[in-house]
Amino acid sequence: MNNNFETVIGLEVHAELNTKTKIFCSCENRFGAEVNTLCCPVCMGFPGTLPVLNQQVVESAVKMGHALNCKINGVTKQDRKNYFYPDLPKAYQISQFDVPLCEHGYLDVLVGDDVRRIGVTRIHIEEDAGKLIHDDSFDGTLCDYNRCGVPLIEIVSEPDLRSAEEAKAYLETITTILLYLGISDAKMQEGSVRCDVNVSVRPKGATEFGTRCEMKNVNSFGAVYRAIVYESERQMEVLASGGTVQQETRRWDDAKNKSIVMRSKEDAQDYRYFPDPDLLTFVVSDEKIAALKASLPELPTAKTLRYVKDFGLQKVDAQLLSVNKARADFFDSCVALGRCEAKTVANWVLGDIAKLLNEQRVEITDTALTPEHLVAMIELINKGTISNTAAKTVLEEIMAKDVEPEEVVKEKGLAQISDTSALAGIVDQVLADNPKAVADYKKGKTNVAGFLVGQCMRASRGQGNPATLRDMVIEAIEKL
Amino acid sequence: MKKLYEYSATELAALLRAKEVSAAEIATSSLDRIAAVEDQIDAYLTVTADEALATAKRVDEKIAAGEEIAPLAGIPIAIKDNICTKSIKTTCASRMLENFVPPYDATVMEKLNAQDIVVTGKVNMDEFAMGGSCENSYFKKTKNPWDTSRVPGGSSGGSAAAVAACEVPLALGSDTGGSVRCPASFCGIVGLKPTYGAVSRYGLVAFASSLDQIGPFGRTVDDVSLLYGAICGRDVRDATSRETALGKVEGSVKGLRLGIPKEYFGEGISAEVKASVYAAAEQLRGLGAEIVEISLPSTDYALAAYYIISSAEASSNLARYDGVKYGFSGNREGTLNDLYLSTRSQGFGAEVKRRIMLGTYVLSSGYYDAYYKRAKLLQNVIAKEFANAFTKCDAILTPVNPTTAFRLGEKCDDPVQMYASDVCTVTVNIAGLPGISFPCGKDGAGLPIGMQVIGPKFSETRLLSIAKSYETAVGGFAVKEM
Amino acid sequence: MEIDVRHIAKLAKLEIPEQEIPKMEQELSSIVSMVEKLPELVSKDSLLDPENTMELRPDVVQPSFARDEMLKNAPDTAAGCLMVPKVVE
Repeated sequence: MNNNFETVIGLEVHAELNTKTKIFCSCENRFGAEVNTLCCPVCMGFPGTLPVLNQQVVESAVKMGHALNCKINGVTKQDRKNYFYPDLPKAYQISQFDVPLCEHGYLDVLVGDDVRRIGVTRIHIEEDAGKLIHDDSFDGTLCDYNRCGVPLIEIVSEPDLRSAEEAKAYLETITTILLYLGISDAKMQEGSVRCDVNVSVRPKGATEFGTRCEMKNVNSFGAVYRAIVYESERQMEVLASGGTVQQETRRWDDAKNKSIVMRSKEDAQDYRYFPDPDLLTFVVSDEKIAALKASLPELPTAKTLRYVKDFGLQKVDAQLLSVNKARADFFDSCVALGRCEAKTVANWVLGDIAKLLNEQRVEITDTALTPEHLVAMIELINKGTISNTAAKTVLEEIMAKDVEPEEVVKEKGLAQISDTSALAGIVDQVLADNPKAVADYKKGKTNVAGFLVGQCMRASRGQGNPATLRDMVIEAIEKL
Repeated sequence: MKKLYEYSATELAALLRAKEVSAAEIATSSLDRIAAVEDQIDAYLTVTADEALATAKRVDEKIAAGEEIAPLAGIPIAIKDNICTKSIKTTCASRMLENFVPPYDATVMEKLNAQDIVVTGKVNMDEFAMGGSCENSYFKKTKNPWDTSRVPGGSSGGSAAAVAACEVPLALGSDTGGSVRCPASFCGIVGLKPTYGAVSRYGLVAFASSLDQIGPFGRTVDDVSLLYGAICGRDVRDATSRETALGKVEGSVKGLRLGIPKEYFGEGISAEVKASVYAAAEQLRGLGAEIVEISLPSTDYALAAYYIISSAEASSNLARYDGVKYGFSGNREGTLNDLYLSTRSQGFGAEVKRRIMLGTYVLSSGYYDAYYKRAKLLQNVIAKEFANAFTKCDAILTPVNPTTAFRLGEKCDDPVQMYASDVCTVTVNIAGLPGISFPCGKDGAGLPIGMQVIGPKFSETRLLSIAKSYETAVGGFAVKEM
Repeated sequence: MEIDVRHIAKLAKLEIPEQEIPKMEQELSSIVSMVEKLPELVSKDSLLDPENTMELRPDVVQPSFARDEMLKNAPDTAAGCLMVPKVVE
């Protein structure tokens, strides 16, 4: 990286909404169906058909607008963006031009230890295009229109991002919010979130922006990072060698880790935007706008900061928790019960629970685990009824089925044995079996006590109370 | 003796209920008439004889079984070929859609089919409804039944000619700048252009979405009322449609104030047309109406606004004809761009291409504000002028066309001259108002002259009532003997 | 009034033969010149019409069409898809 230059980045994020139907017709909105089976005359642009706007699309977009602190334009319209391409059956995309549903917002993004405020220029609603299939076994390009008319929101940021890290963090926060609001599947790998990246560079301290290039086809968080690093270095090299950056649209090839020119400024399209005469002005009432705002959940950045402030969690843990809404909600419910330390809950959610969920490839809401059960289990540990080791067995059970932890303990005989008379035999046997360790201890190597306690735990099949066993082992050796 | 095909829809419906005729007899008489006069008229692009007879049979079975039949059951109708009919070719009189068979019915067709109306076929028009003479059809030139050397008007020329020639009592057309009213006037029949939003556009192949409306034709006002009542109302598939219904058509003008706007009687309007419309106004005065003079000063600009807006929308609406999904497909051996260029250059006729070019131009970068936006702002001005006029009168009387039907080929060379003949009708579409055209006399050559009555939004019942009052007073409208 | 007919034709995906360009330019000019008469109306506002608004549609699924129905009119299909000349990605 050339230290004399600064990178300036703006992102255009397209997110498919997870409404039941498409934006302008009643075809099902679903990913992965057989080609051209989720189509009708409307989404395939047949002569005579008309679009009718889906209410849910507007509501979802307004929610996103609120989440990104936007002004909501309650009186707005849809416009046509005209261009020819085989994935666009009407040869125009119904979008929004001069009056986007949401505008003038911002998003606070955690980048390392800093909170960066990134401006959001606008969010508008539009229809997705179809999918072109390039397959060499056919002598043409194939068109699948299942995706035609899937609702999209386009979120355009201000050129406020200054590094690949920031851009990646911004995009991750956007996708987390989409999931928090439940309005998108937000899967970059399925293309339900896509990103165009605008990059320019300028000498440090300059106030004017440099000439920007737009990169298309940037389809993963990693690709966003790599594409920005590549493109800013490319532009810096051009400038450093006395050249000028050309305004152009480039295509990012993640496999080759480089971008190539798609079209230059001279080929810029003339989209001939005009209000769609098939769709009149539409109104989202002030009451509706307010109600949608009130329906918003606490958002991830706010959650992270609250976890750090209120519960003393490490920022990295707090962020790990809040990045997943289901787990954060679960955590919040556990803490709300007020019967154990938040930190303890966090350790379980981020530790053993996360491990089990990953192994089983499920989400916490797919399991039988309830906040009540987890907290009850933690209480059993705190009371000394079960050991941490036994608790792991309990956890597996209460995640698999709706059963009280106490019952699991009873049924599986997992209760911790703290009764010294019950443990005395085990201690005697372990000391007898390990004379060398006992001798070492007597010579002052007191840390072998841990080894002996471990042996006792094993002999008690995990049920002995380790603290009690430790006391008993030390006492017994000293008596010898 | 009056032939069955000469009867009005209203009369046929009564005869059917009285079991004096069967639906099969009505359908057969209509099909026979089509066979007899089509070579002179050339109204039809597709005759659906089998379907027509099958529907008629179904109606007869219902009658035989004592079932209730719908008001339009068994009545023959011709459908303009830009209204989608499931499994029946819908060509828009364009090479582009020569073999297009819609997989769905337009909403108006669903409504009419539900009534067991008998569709006799699809009728000719100017290609994609662009034109005022029906000469822009890729397939054939329809002739005016009153003088087959003359045009029937356009763009719904096939619809009007089929009704005027008694091939059918009813027809559906569409009106974007006068395309129902102009041919109704040239062919001496009644045509209604409903309020924008009164009839669903779902399934009407779009020319200019913000101006297009489907409208009914008939030889009598009652027939037009019957058909309009059957097709109007809100449709969830058309976001621009509105709830509305036909009221009782009283056939009276008593107490109505009828406005005469001087701007519609200027130099471009032939003396015979003016005289005829003024005489009709006098007659309405005699029937109890009050005639008041009004002014609509922006009328002169409406034509320009109309051509900008309609062409802009058309350029976008017709972009979908690209040789990929349906319709004519050009050179498939070259690149994608070759396919686009060849499909569109060979599939569209000259007039359609001219409008697409104009529309593309007025929307292109740097010209939007000067042309499209200015035209849209002017549209508001015109609509407000009408709204203001309707505080002074209940309806407005004007000519429909500057002249009577002209000769085939007479105006083909000069698009601007052709466009100018829409001067009296486009304002109604620009302002989204209803307008009706009905015969109010003949010129020296015996060609029909039409009068237009324009009303406030959703005043169709009033317009039909005014037309009926006149119709009754003149003892009904003449039918051309052929 | 200069109208770049070639540029407009390119946008509209129409081929206008060289020899027809002057005629097309003249025709377009004569139509556009009608507009020159229009009164100067300027507004910075967007073309919104709050007095004439539309209802939105409830988010309820209805069956899609059979694929065969949707492809029946297509000039060329393969593997359940419409086919166009090869497009480079």
